[in-house]
Amino acid sequence: MLPLLPEPARRWAEILRNRLTLTDEESRRIDGSPVHLNSAGFDDWGLDPTMVKSALGVGKWLYKNYFRVKTHGIERVPQGRVLVIANHGGQLPVDGLLLYMSLALEANPARIARPMVERWVPTIPFISTLFARCGVMVGDPHNCKDLLETDECVIAFPEGVRGSGKPFAKRYQLQRFGTGFVRLALETRTPILPVGIVGCEEIYPAIANFAPLAKLLRMPYFPITPLFPALGVLGAVPLPSQVNIRFGEPLTFDANPDASDAEIEALVEKVKAAIRIEIDAGLAERGR
Amino acid sequence: MAEESTTTQKPYCLITGAAGGLASLIASRLQDRYEIVGVDPRPLPDGKEFPGEFRQVHYSHRKMADIFRSRPFSVLLHMGRIPIATRTASRMERYAVNVLGTHSLLEMALKYNVGRIIVMSTFHVYGAQPTNPVHIGEEAPLRASQTFPELADAVEFDHMAKSFMYQYRRVKTIILRPVNVVGPELQNHITRLLRSKWCPLLLGYDPMLQFIHQDDYARAVETCLEATRSGVYNVAGEGAVPYSETIRLAGAKAIPLPHPLVYPAVGVGSRLGLSFPTYLIDYFRYATVVADNAFRNDFGFRPMVTTHDALDELSRLPRAEGMFAKL
Repeated sequence: MLPLLPEPARRWAEILRNRLTLTDEESRRIDGSPVHLNSAGFDDWGLDPTMVKSALGVGKWLYKNYFRVKTHGIERVPQGRVLVIANHGGQLPVDGLLLYMSLALEANPARIARPMVERWVPTIPFISTLFARCGVMVGDPHNCKDLLETDECVIAFPEGVRGSGKPFAKRYQLQRFGTGFVRLALETRTPILPVGIVGCEEIYPAIANFAPLAKLLRMPYFPITPLFPALGVLGAVPLPSQVNIRFGEPLTFDANPDASDAEIEALVEKVKAAIRIEIDAGLAERGR
Repeated sequence: MAEESTTTQKPYCLITGAAGGLASLIASRLQDRYEIVGVDPRPLPDGKEFPGEFRQVHYSHRKMADIFRSRPFSVLLHMGRIPIATRTASRMERYAVNVLGTHSLLEMALKYNVGRIIVMSTFHVYGAQPTNPVHIGEEAPLRASQTFPELADAVEFDHMAKSFMYQYRRVKTIILRPVNVVGPELQNHITRLLRSKWCPLLLGYDPMLQFIHQDDYARAVETCLEATRSGVYNVAGEGAVPYSETIRLAGAKAIPLPHPLVYPAVGVGSRLGLSFPTYLIDYFRYATVVADNAFRNDFGFRPMVTTHDALDELSRLPRAEGMFAKL
């Protein structure tokens, strides 16, 4: 298609294509990430590293130029199985996207992480397919356990929609965490990597949640921001907030995975505390 | 003693669904070791020969009892379930054969002391649900009829065999839930679909599918015949592949269709007897990927043909006539 274009347009197309693809070096790093592929080049969850590379090529621009992501402590990502736990906010899971990209672009070795998402995601056309090829999976404990046992890197946001749907006024206040992730980590003897993400909770400053409309549209929440839905599609563009992703020290717990909720809650609190330390450090660094 | 060894009588093996390609394939692999009798309510396809004696009979017909009476079967290989994708069988017919027929076969097998029963169920019993985890284990609930009550016969078939297994432990019963079985000698729905020129695909959906090559599956069944255990097992090949890649590897072309149009169109089509039933669409929309580690561990089974090679083999076969597979 390119040869048909006039010379200046072709040059621009070339520049754009170079911008939106990984460099050879980045590409080689992704090839070196630990994956378990079958004869057709996929794993049973639907991961396709070729698609990961294409998606990262496009996503890299968002990561480097739009959100200008800075990471801290990425060398703390352990080898082998790891459960990455972070704070969640900002209406759309941009935090998950940037965390995923940081692990692929900056961790050593590169990790193609497996983010856990809501159960209705497989019903969305196109998105469901793109997500599956990039390693995303339904947040079912069964899936999580299976992946950790194959030494994968799983990303989870135990706040779920409680976190992502919270209004701007509650930014960086951790909501209630589920306890399942600690039980899974104990059961599979997986280190938990606490991560504080600063910058993603401002991208859609939600003033309110229009709950009746959300219910009507079968959405978990319908945010009202100063720009959305007032400016329509334009208002849905996330604000270009600078993002800091801070990795804490991995936490390894030794307890009975079948312990009472009270005992597990205590461990959950330790994880929350570790995340809070990273959030506070991130906020202090940018001057709140 | 000496006299006995000179007139060694091979043990008898009863195979249901004998008019099908997979039953023939397995029968031919067993005929050296077993005296094979094949039964099916359908006649043998024209020009096909069954490796053994073939009888056209309904499983709950009294003639079936006479077949049991006249030969001391040591093995029942029940492959005669009408698949869920069968366009020509009504829900009532499927129920009659799959549930009532199986009930009567199991009763007779018990009465006439068949020592080993292998029942071929299917991975479809788990249901194609968007919430499915990857690697569904054998202990998972059978949810196929949750969204589509029309699939009750397949679920009940499986449950019936399972309760028989638990109730009569002295009969060694193995229930297999294979993934899509493909191969050059098969005429099942998935093989015919992949051998057609065009394969419809739901726009925006591309679930992971699992395949096992016909020879691997036949070998899995043989392995079960020699084992002394009972149990329910998923049987899968080497790895899962997206449906779009499946079509590509099998040498067909994909036609993407928007799902809001496909469901009503197929609904009308199936009522007119023109297309496959609506519930089959969901298996091409949501993944139903099973865990096969129990079978691998308990039987030491390893598939020999990779998924890539199994599908590639289909691409080298002549394409089916007509635009679409006659599902």
